[in-house]
Amino acid sequence: MKELNPLLHSQLRLAIMSILMNVEEADFVYLKEKTESTAGNLSVQLDKLSSAGYISVEKGMLGKRPRTTCSITSEGQRAFEEYVEVLKTYLNL
Amino acid sequence: MEDRKLTEKESLEVITSMIARTKERYLDDGNILLMWGYLAVFIAILVWVLLAITRQSAWNFLWFMMPLVGGVATRAMSRKQLRERGVRTFTDRATSELWAIAGSSPIWVAVVCLILQCLTGNDCWGAMLAYPLIVVPFAEIAQGILIKEDSLIMGGLTGLLIGILTICCIAGGIVLHANWFQPLFILAFVAMMIVPGHILNRKAKRE
Repeated sequence: MKELNPLLHSQLRLAIMSILMNVEEADFVYLKEKTESTAGNLSVQLDKLSSAGYISVEKGMLGKRPRTTCSITSEGQRAFEEYVEVLKTYLNL
Repeated sequence: MEDRKLTEKESLEVITSMIARTKERYLDDGNILLMWGYLAVFIAILVWVLLAITRQSAWNFLWFMMPLVGGVATRAMSRKQLRERGVRTFTDRATSELWAIAGSSPIWVAVVCLILQCLTGNDCWGAMLAYPLIVVPFAEIAQGILIKEDSLIMGGLTGLLIGILTICCIAGGIVLHANWFQPLFILAFVAMMIVPGHILNRKAKRE
């Protein structure tokens, strides 16, 4: 049986990827609220996903406030879809 | 939520739970719609009164205030909405681009009217009256279908009916007198923007 992608097989990273698969972009505050994680932990996991090329992180300004926006890349989409396919085999779905 | 390994069953639970959370329906408040609605009504009344008093058709140029004031206000209000929601979905992008096209097209209508007037001497400015009552209702109906909001669909259909009447009048050579056309124009914008705007605001507050 094929192994599940270890980068995605973690609670918070999988949650982030699941959210980003469903929206065009989400900011840091939104991800923090939806995943109920801490800012520090979320930041670390975003860095890991970004380094793997699964998400793109843009830091910018919205009006006068700083805003970090995340969106999934095509590589991230492929990895997520593959993860779900492998997961199905594990669960006999 | 932490950075911990999951069982396969837990993975599935995380995915379904996150999908459910992002599927929550986000209803923007109707403030942008209300701003455009009240702006259109205000300018329509202003132009109507000034035309009645002075009989100078140049007051029609006040309509150019609409894209100027509305465009700047929409930009600021959209930024505020995005900051508050923190997320942008496909529907958001689709409606935003739809309104950007619908909102920028009067500039092209004005350019064509101006060119035709210069080249032929014919007054084509009646098109500027018909335009907002055809393109705007279509954009509004499309948005209503996308976000499943009946008040937008009904408002758009009302505006479209008035738009069709306007086009038929122009084609039939019936003069659009301010005395009856301005109230009709105001009615269209009340139905298209002010009524749905207040309904959206009420629903957004409830959510």
